[in-house]
Amino acid sequence: MVRLITHNLLACHAKGCTTNNFPLEFKDVQVVLRESEFNPEFLRGFMPKIEWPALLGAARELGDTSLPDQLPEMLDDDFLKALHHVLLEIHVEEGIMICPNCQHNYPILNGIPNMLLAEHEIA
Amino acid sequence: MAPAVTATHVPESEPAAEYEDAHVHQVYDHIAGHFASTRYKPWPIIAAFLAGLRDGWIGLDAGTGNGKYLPLPLDRPGHLWTIGLDRSRNLLEIARTAGGSEREVVWGDVLGHAWRPQIFDYAFSIATIHHLATPERRKVAVKDVFVPWVLSDDKTKVFQRYYHMFADGELAALVTLAAEELGLTVGPPHAALNTRGMEIVQDGWERSNHYVELRLWQS
Ligand SMILES: [Zn+2]
Repeated sequence: MVRLITHNLLACHAKGCTTNNFPLEFKDVQVVLRESEFNPEFLRGFMPKIEWPALLGAARELGDTSLPDQLPEMLDDDFLKALHHVLLEIHVEEGIMICPNCQHNYPILNGIPNMLLAEHEIA
Repeated sequence: MAPAVTATHVPESEPAAEYEDAHVHQVYDHIAGHFASTRYKPWPIIAAFLAGLRDGWIGLDAGTGNGKYLPLPLDRPGHLWTIGLDRSRNLLEIARTAGGSEREVVWGDVLGHAWRPQIFDYAFSIATIHHLATPERRKVAVKDVFVPWVLSDDKTKVFQRYYHMFADGELAALVTLAAEELGLTVGPPHAALNTRGMEIVQDGWERSNHYVELRLWQS
């Protein structure tokens, strides 16, 4: 799957592409929403790892505007539920992720992102 | 037991990547269905390792196969998030719903690192690295599991761990060499400031497989 939790971790790894290689930009995506179990313990622990502007941008690109511009200081249940939905319930099933730096295309097929590079493209 | 596909010798004339493609990836794609049904049971050492990790940690299963470790720990489902990476697309189609829920899986090579730097709290790799055809490629693969690790805010106490099984006594030497080439001090943590190191916590053998548990530390 490519949920936004994974999108927030993936970066372009083509040879020589080491700056401005995150976040990958979505193109031509098909999205499916699927409910999943709410786990505030996971979210609280994971939160320091999130690149907030990238998550915010990706969520809005996919039509979800529930997140605030800045990470709030108080993590109430409403916020955590919105975060849960954005990170774990929006599935990008088909589409392309494009590197903002080198324009390398990483296709998503049946929910699985193809991050393979040819041997000569690997750094 | 490790699967019967092992790449131990590469003819001089055959480039390593092509050798792996012909002898490992294609074979796994071919037998994916059978392989998944016969290898469902998690290895208890990995289950115990995952059971000891903190809520909110994210990790990488490099060579996830049918994804049998992705649902763990079973008593705290969803409290950790392990992302499955594999070279076999057919196995990933199975791994994506391992344990009856949606998992995050990525089609990629253990020799790539398609991730933000130092993002993972833990990583493990099982029955994967011995498929790489040359010692040099195995060493690069070990390094690539080191690289995405993050040293967390709790600098003196928090360590990241890495499990890897190997059907060969070279394993400890291999990870030591890889660590030294990455500029890591090898051994227990010590007081010199701004030092990063790697410590071998366990070096064991079970069910005909070698494994090693490592910690990264920073002082
Ligand atoms: Zn790039």
